[in-house]
Amino acid sequence: MPLHDASYKHWEGVHLGLWHRRFAIAENGLTSCLQNRSIKHLVVICWVTALLASAILFMAGQLLVADSLIVQWVGNLSLELQAFAGMLTKWLEDHPEISVRTTQNVLFYYYSIALMPMSIFSLGMAMPLLLTRDLASNSIIIYSSKAVNLFDYLVGKFCTACGLVFLSWLGPLCATWFFGNLLSPDWRFFWHSRAALAHVMVYGLASMLVLGMLSLGISATSSKEKSTSFYWFLWWILGAVLTPIATKTQPWLRHLSFSFNLDQLAMAVFRVGDDIKVAQDNIPILGDMLRQVSARTIANMSSPEIGNSVLALALMIGAAAWIVAKRVKPE
Amino acid sequence: MPIPFVIETESLSKVYGRQRALDGVNLRVAPGAIGLLGPNGAGKSTFMKCLLQLHPITSGSAKLLGREVGTEGREIRKRVGYTPEQDCHIPGMVGCEYVTYCAQLCGLPFQVARQRAHEMLDFVGMAQERYRKIDTYSTGMKQRLKLAQAIVHDPEIVFLDEPTNGLDPKGQAQILELVESLWRTYGITVVVSSHLLHDVDRICQQIIIIARGRVLVHDSLENLKSRKRGAAEVVVASRHEELRLACERRQWGCHLLPNGHLNIEHKASSLNPLISLLHDMKLSPLEIIPSPNALEETFVQALELSHAAA
Repeated sequence: MPLHDASYKHWEGVHLGLWHRRFAIAENGLTSCLQNRSIKHLVVICWVTALLASAILFMAGQLLVADSLIVQWVGNLSLELQAFAGMLTKWLEDHPEISVRTTQNVLFYYYSIALMPMSIFSLGMAMPLLLTRDLASNSIIIYSSKAVNLFDYLVGKFCTACGLVFLSWLGPLCATWFFGNLLSPDWRFFWHSRAALAHVMVYGLASMLVLGMLSLGISATSSKEKSTSFYWFLWWILGAVLTPIATKTQPWLRHLSFSFNLDQLAMAVFRVGDDIKVAQDNIPILGDMLRQVSARTIANMSSPEIGNSVLALALMIGAAAWIVAKRVKPE
Repeated sequence: MPIPFVIETESLSKVYGRQRALDGVNLRVAPGAIGLLGPNGAGKSTFMKCLLQLHPITSGSAKLLGREVGTEGREIRKRVGYTPEQDCHIPGMVGCEYVTYCAQLCGLPFQVARQRAHEMLDFVGMAQERYRKIDTYSTGMKQRLKLAQAIVHDPEIVFLDEPTNGLDPKGQAQILELVESLWRTYGITVVVSSHLLHDVDRICQQIIIIARGRVLVHDSLENLKSRKRGAAEVVVASRHEELRLACERRQWGCHLLPNGHLNIEHKASSLNPLISLLHDMKLSPLEIIPSPNALEETFVQALELSHAAA
């Protein structure tokens, strides 16, 4: 028997609003995800890359400072490099609107593309923790008997998936942009790189919506934990393998891969092809190197199949919503 | 101001495919300890789930705590607790985390939720095991935990679906004692769904008997017992045979039950003749249970009528 008062006590406080309850579901889901060691490690890796990318931006920024350690170090290597660094510095000073914008847009495009697999992988690992376990344990009945309904529950779970995408993708990207520019010698970099941030946000949020919905859909397909993770990875890997084959045979098949569609979306948002053209025409030395990029590649990057990709993603989201509506019910 | 009826239904029906789980249920239930009785598959759980909006109502209407079930689900469930029949905890969670989380789902701020979770776990008698993962709990612990999550947000009414399932007699008694105290001591209306008549007989004041989706009986336990007067169970420490012979002399049916109690059919509307007899014999009974089988007889009778009508 407890030594303290163990009798029932009434409570007369004020209930918090609906979004607090939805947030509680999302927070609980995210906490469960981060208790998984593999997911935790993946997230840490993503933030380590953010640190590295911030360091690269910092060093690029230091090229603008004539007496910075980096400029001195480059200068010490050889006179040619010293001249190159001086020219770059001059050019960066004269045309920051082109140099900063273009450089950061290209950098963040490739960084976004590089981080996406980490995010997809962590979602795959988290698949059982989204809906699968709740379907297996029937705990949806507990949620439904509280002051939330199925929609609130799904909003909470969707936010869990989005939270994971944020932690493993959008968060590191935004942090890189912020800290990279914060450490730059000129705070106008924030202004000149605003396009890169806008692109990251548009692409990241759109991808978050897509991946969040698709992961919920896959997570609801089965009540077996291993199955849903398997389906997710299978879809992703098959898509990646089939895309190059389908390009030469049936190009429409590529749209069955969500990662291909997201790549097309990235090209449409960042418009890296245009930036490469600008770089070819305006950036000294680096522009000469970029001239080796073929016109076809630039054309492909400038005109992604955005219409078909958006349609394909919309259909996938619709299918995921249908699966969730069919499968997620109390009992 | 207290509401006169906690549950009000009008022609409430629920249909699954071709099966009619609830068939025009009309009820007005006052606050109290309410027993929902019926054989397996009678529609007891469906009735509860419809009231909680876990399953949509096919036709008719229902009000819970004076609010319309179809339109005010969330508001209703803020004031309602529910313990489902089956295990449905969230895997991987620790007991106290789970109850805290359930409180948060009802809109309690985290700090309050955590404090109340510990209070409710104390109330249901869970000690250090609250810090263990639920997956490792015994059936008895899971039942206690289910009760704790149902009352953590201080509801006005609690629905308990087969709360003593899978428990040993001692565990059953402990859970029933807790449930009984919710109404008697703390004024929380409890609706206990069970097919175990003894459980309901012990803690409930109002009885609803459901079979084939229809309400067969809705009355107070006292009224049901008064209709079945004329028998009593007497517990005496000794002189069983002497009492049996005295009853036979008065042409009262009397037989010894396996538990050592004497079942006496005194055929009177009150216990006075039986008490007089005991007084004359200078025999002090340990306990007299009036109309001991009233609920069982009513239940069987209602089911027979229902079968005959079908």
